[in-house]
Amino acid sequence: MAPERFSSRWDTLAIVVCVLLAIAARAVPASVQDAVASAVRRTIAVPLLALEHQTELLRSSRARLRRLVSERDSALVLAIRADALAEENDRLRELLALRDRLGGRAVAAEVLRQSGPTAGLTLVLTAGSSSGVRPLTPMVAPGGLLGVVRSVDPSYSVAVLWTHPDFRVSAMTLDGSVFGLVAPAPASGPETMLLQLTGVPYRDLVPPGTRLYTSGFGGVYPRGIPIGEVLGVAREQEGVSRTYLVRPAVHPGAVAHVILLVAPDLDVAAAFESGGGT
Amino acid sequence: MTWRSERIRVALVLGLLAVGHFALRPWLGSPRIAPDLLFLAVLVYAVRTRPGRAAVAGFLIGLLSDSLNPVAFGSAMLAYAVVGYLAAWGKAVFFADNPAVAGGLFFAGVVIRDVLVLLWGGHAAGTTVFWQLALWTPLQALTTAISGVLVLLLFRESLHVRVGE
Repeated sequence: MAPERFSSRWDTLAIVVCVLLAIAARAVPASVQDAVASAVRRTIAVPLLALEHQTELLRSSRARLRRLVSERDSALVLAIRADALAEENDRLRELLALRDRLGGRAVAAEVLRQSGPTAGLTLVLTAGSSSGVRPLTPMVAPGGLLGVVRSVDPSYSVAVLWTHPDFRVSAMTLDGSVFGLVAPAPASGPETMLLQLTGVPYRDLVPPGTRLYTSGFGGVYPRGIPIGEVLGVAREQEGVSRTYLVRPAVHPGAVAHVILLVAPDLDVAAAFESGGGT
Repeated sequence: MTWRSERIRVALVLGLLAVGHFALRPWLGSPRIAPDLLFLAVLVYAVRTRPGRAAVAGFLIGLLSDSLNPVAFGSAMLAYAVVGYLAAWGKAVFFADNPAVAGGLFFAGVVIRDVLVLLWGGHAAGTTVFWQLALWTPLQALTTAISGVLVLLLFRESLHVRVGE
């Protein structure tokens, strides 16, 4: 029975075809991979993701209600002073001839986690192109930068977390005295997920505890989003540059929903151009 | 039980696992150690069918996994197809039809899948791969195997599981 049932040509042919298709899928250009993945997400995955979305909403609704009430109370206190601050801000901008910066809007999205060994590198989000989300939309959580949207469907999008090996963001210190490139650091332990600040000139010393922010270079991330806090020197090239370890501002495992900085007309450089000559 | 009603029952159990994978996901904590019920459905199907069909089923679930987690597109397709094929083949050649041995099969299936995804995906290296394979993969394999044994015991009539042999 065994040879007849488990050694047929059909079985061998099936596994060979499957392996060849998998190899082809791995080899084709990223644009083709994204098109196929998007087609699957738009069809058979829709009811499954909708189901996960509903259960995620159910799970988080009570905790979120408590948090919302607390945040609303805090916001009410701040709102009392906000009008005066906005008025003062407008007056100062007028004096400096600056336009309103970062005039985009934010879209909130739930996080739908997936399983598997690569689960900690990407997230499925419950906001897509119908909400104005586009590829390269920055993704933040209340603490700071979390990642960037990679591909977008009408109702869902897939975002790359800062843990992804391809993640890079231009960073600076608050006073703008030190700039560098932030990327994920190699893991030194099972729960250790750190970033590293590279390309810092040897003459610039960044003390532990210094907070890092997005610099706005590259045009993907607006200037001023918190990235993390410097822990110390990871390694150095004598006389050339230093690499620093950075504790991220947001841990991906701790977020249940995120904010997408949707800004269709956002042009960070243009926000300053009218004030350039003053 | 007729052949047709048996197939319907098995399909219902597999469908329940697939739905449970997405419906229960938010309640199961960290995805790194939570049982992978969708992969479990592939393995439960694999131990009841021919290797070719198990490979195709694994490939399709791998395609879904790659689409929802597009880090190394194609790696899950390969891993799920190979594990499905091996599970169906190995079940007939080596393994008895009881829950304890099936639990070992589920455990091994998750480990082999993760090894294939990580090594063939090529997106992770060094200590990241080490900690994944040394800690998180065995933990997820354990929770998946326990879930699998519970499913086999719960649906032993539908899945024709022999308990106590």
